[in-house]
Amino acid sequence: MRFTQFTPYDLVLLAQGLGVTVGLFLLTSLIGLLAGTVLGVVRYYRVPGLTQAVTFVTELLKNSPVLVQLFLVFFGFPAFFHLNVGPVQAAVITLSANTAAFVYVIAVSAIESIGRDQVEAARVFGLSRWQVLRHVIAPQAAAFSIGPLTALLVNQLQVTSLISVIGVMDLAKIGATLNLRTLKPFIVWSVVGLLYYLAAKLVAGVGARIEHRLRAHSAFRGL
Amino acid sequence: MRFDLSVLVPHLGFLASGAMLTAAVCGLALVGSVVLGMAVAIARTSSGGWARRAAYAYVDLFRNVPFIVQLFFFYYGLPEIGIYIDAFTTGVIALSIAGGAYASDAIRAGILAIDNGILEAAEVSGLSKRVTFTRIVLPIALRTSVRPLGSVLINMILTSSILSTITLNELTGQAKIVASDTFRPFEVYFVLLVVYAALTYLVSIGIALLHRRLNRDLMGQVS
Repeated sequence: MRFTQFTPYDLVLLAQGLGVTVGLFLLTSLIGLLAGTVLGVVRYYRVPGLTQAVTFVTELLKNSPVLVQLFLVFFGFPAFFHLNVGPVQAAVITLSANTAAFVYVIAVSAIESIGRDQVEAARVFGLSRWQVLRHVIAPQAAAFSIGPLTALLVNQLQVTSLISVIGVMDLAKIGATLNLRTLKPFIVWSVVGLLYYLAAKLVAGVGARIEHRLRAHSAFRGL
Repeated sequence: MRFDLSVLVPHLGFLASGAMLTAAVCGLALVGSVVLGMAVAIARTSSGGWARRAAYAYVDLFRNVPFIVQLFFFYYGLPEIGIYIDAFTTGVIALSIAGGAYASDAIRAGILAIDNGILEAAEVSGLSKRVTFTRIVLPIALRTSVRPLGSVLINMILTSSILSTITLNELTGQAKIVASDTFRPFEVYFVLLVVYAALTYLVSIGIALLHRRLNRDLMGQVS
């Protein structure tokens, strides 16, 4: 027996897929943000050797397709390191590392956007390097980087759709399943695309709100 | 397991044929997306209300929906309405449409950056609107936006790896076959990662050179 019609249960499936996509997006964005920021701080402290290694790896991650990175982790790691990597684990590892690489670049340029005179003045007042980072650089760098970060996260949300290729039941995979069953590609992919579109708009909207708040103190208030 | 690259040597020709296909797809899609991007950029900078809104809707939609969803929409959807084309053509069309959204932003920025004095000089010289656009505005906008268009191309090279999901055996697709032939997925995908990174690096160097060559008379403004 074959159900080629849409059923109300398909909505549940779509909601499940959206949940997996959003959940993995939030998790990997959080890990990526933390890891990328830590790497940026490592560069700030000028650890010898480490900076070059980090730059090399992030450049490699930024300049290669996410799909190939996914295959490397999902098919390559189990064969080479004899690890047991499931689809969801591979997705989390790859997407986190990829996000971290891009966040690193934003973090570095945000830290460098603060004028040297401010850092020197703070050092003259007796603040330690950590205090300078915490109280002088961090607040301004956060306001500076929120715009690029929002653009990055909107992009990373779309990148999550690639994990459907290695079998994670995310929104794109649910779409493929529904497409195979109903053979109505226009309806299925339009609905899936619309859901992605709305999610992307939501991320962009939240980013704009945070940016507005972080920039409130430096915004031009008028005369 | 030892990291052994010599297992790949017999498959290099096979991988090179995939790389040629990637180059062909990206070359055609670059032409398609620049042509489309030009048309959309013209619409977005025009004074006509509905053309501008339609162009904005196109850019907004195709930038916020994952490429894999767009690809499946065309690959499974087009036969539904009686258009039977192969994976190669579908890939080129999908890449052109997605790339066109990004290219239009680059070209639009180039158009908006043109000094008003140039336009006024053209108007005073008695040139028609059409001639002003095709002979003055577009050449300047295209050459100042070579660098952003280059990043569109690099993104396209990375995105083209997704075409392996619709049975088009470009570089990533061929590598998948090699990986399952040799049982060495780690080596195969690691090399693939480095090859993509090296390829995009070379392309970015070439674009920087082209950009400098085309804009040699106004280096002070665009460098």
